[in-house]
Amino acid sequence: MICVDNSEWMRNGDYSPTRFQAQADAVNLICGAKTQSNPENTVGVLTMAGKGVRVLVTPTSDLGKILACMHGLEIGGEMNLAAGIQVAQLALKHRQNKKQQQRIIVFAGSPVKYDKKVLELIGRKLKKNSVALDIVNFGEEDEEKAEKLEALLAAVNNNDSSHIVHVPPGPSALSDVLISTPIFTGDGEGGSGFAAAAAAAAGGVPGYDFGVDPNLDPELALALRVSMEEERARQEAAAKKAAEETSKQEKGEQQSTSQDATMTENVTAGSSETEKKTHDLTDDENALLQQALAMSMDDSSSTAAVRDTDMSDASAEDHDLQLALQLSVQEGAADQQNQTDVNKLLGDQSFMSSILASLPGVDPNDPHVKDLLASMQSQSENKDKDEDLKEEEKK
Amino acid sequence: MACLHDHSCEEHDCSSDWSLYKHIDLPKVSALNEAVPGSVKTVFRAWEQRLNSSEGYLESNEGDPELIVFIPFTSDVKLKSISIVGGADGTSPAKLRAFINRDGIDFSDAQNMQPVQEWELAENFQGVLEYQTRYSRFQSVGNITLHFPDNFGGDTTQIHYIGLKGEATQLKRDVVATIVYELMPNPSDHKTRAETGGGLSQV
Repeated sequence: MICVDNSEWMRNGDYSPTRFQAQADAVNLICGAKTQSNPENTVGVLTMAGKGVRVLVTPTSDLGKILACMHGLEIGGEMNLAAGIQVAQLALKHRQNKKQQQRIIVFAGSPVKYDKKVLELIGRKLKKNSVALDIVNFGEEDEEKAEKLEALLAAVNNNDSSHIVHVPPGPSALSDVLISTPIFTGDGEGGSGFAAAAAAAAGGVPGYDFGVDPNLDPELALALRVSMEEERARQEAAAKKAAEETSKQEKGEQQSTSQDATMTENVTAGSSETEKKTHDLTDDENALLQQALAMSMDDSSSTAAVRDTDMSDASAEDHDLQLALQLSVQEGAADQQNQTDVNKLLGDQSFMSSILASLPGVDPNDPHVKDLLASMQSQSENKDKDEDLKEEEKK
Repeated sequence: MACLHDHSCEEHDCSSDWSLYKHIDLPKVSALNEAVPGSVKTVFRAWEQRLNSSEGYLESNEGDPELIVFIPFTSDVKLKSISIVGGADGTSPAKLRAFINRDGIDFSDAQNMQPVQEWELAENFQGVLEYQTRYSRFQSVGNITLHFPDNFGGDTTQIHYIGLKGEATQLKRDVVATIVYELMPNPSDHKTRAETGGGLSQV
């Protein structure tokens, strides 16, 4: 049974947005946690101020009803703590399921006008009827109030089932502070799971990296972590590229073909390849496009070959068109086209020599290599002749 | 209505007479105003053990001698008599009021309601006193609530043994229960062996 303080003292703004709003949020959170932790839990709400102590909702497991009645509450009057607790005790006594444990949660925001003895008497009566009591001390602060509430708790407390929490005004919301207290976590119930999820959602994030509890959703947490690392790797590669680019510009421009020639199937070599390609396009506006290219370059070598050939064919000025061409080339492009392009490449003597120069352990001046090149060249020429013949026949 | 039960126990077997404790639904036994939660369960023993309160006894809170003990049975019983062994130095209960087949009686209810029967108790350290019931009223007892409003002047009330004599029938009271069905399993209800620290878990 939750006792809400809706007295005039709740208009104050030292808890954002107002004390009353902070209290309402905390109440909603507590109700949610209790109903979720055990399907047989029921929660009721009563107001202690206003025209008098009034029970808004008798103990129910319907969260909607509780939220609805918290919605339309008005502020006014003075809080009557003793009467509030006694009415709460009565409401609990007439609960439907006698097996439920009885507990009262009191939000004490305004000054307490009863003296210690009266409160202790109430506390002893609660203890005798095995009712537990949780006190949330917030709002108005005077030394007597804290003392009185502590005395009340001492009278009620049976085996640590009752708790008190003092919440000083500050930047953190009332509900956030309450989440970590035993009021929320209950007596070791599943309420702690709900509390952890709520805390993560609220953005307080006690210890969860990505706002997702690995216990609740391990796959999502793993996916988030993996994508984070990928992004980090990408950014490192981009940073490296930028560094290399500036250093290359100092050395001077090289031939575009030789840059494209360094075609290997190694991913790490692919990054160096992109560096040289970016050197080819010294235009600053194309830096982003190059990064996109670099990423897509890592996918497959054949498509990379297509892009490379397009690059080599294009003239130096027409960069944008070339990039557009490349980007529009689908990965499912015709193999024939790939093949002819590759053959053209192979036919280009200077191109071949530069490729071979970059390959480790191969000396282009080696006679064997030269023979190979010659044979390949003749092959490509033959193929071209065949294609021409075919075209003529079709016509 | 107390009778002295002073005999040599050869003629009839006392222990079998006082065997209603076997029909008590012990996990559901509860007490109000007990100093140590759960201590009420130690009070139900065999007749021979009635003076042996090594496992603990039921004591009320400081300065408050009232006690309520709620005893549900596993089946309906016919209750013939009750025996109470209290503590020394005025901590024995002085009065006993009994209510039958009522759930969730607390102190304000107990004080206002008319009991089915009440007795004036005497100090009974040897456990030889038994208090007979009006048998016609105790024919089908599904649960019984014992209210001890007073003691002999001590600060607390101590009860070391509660003995019940009677017959158990095989009948059960039909209880219309509001059952709540879970949509999702509650993890705290399903402690695995790994958590309780024993055995090999097989995946």
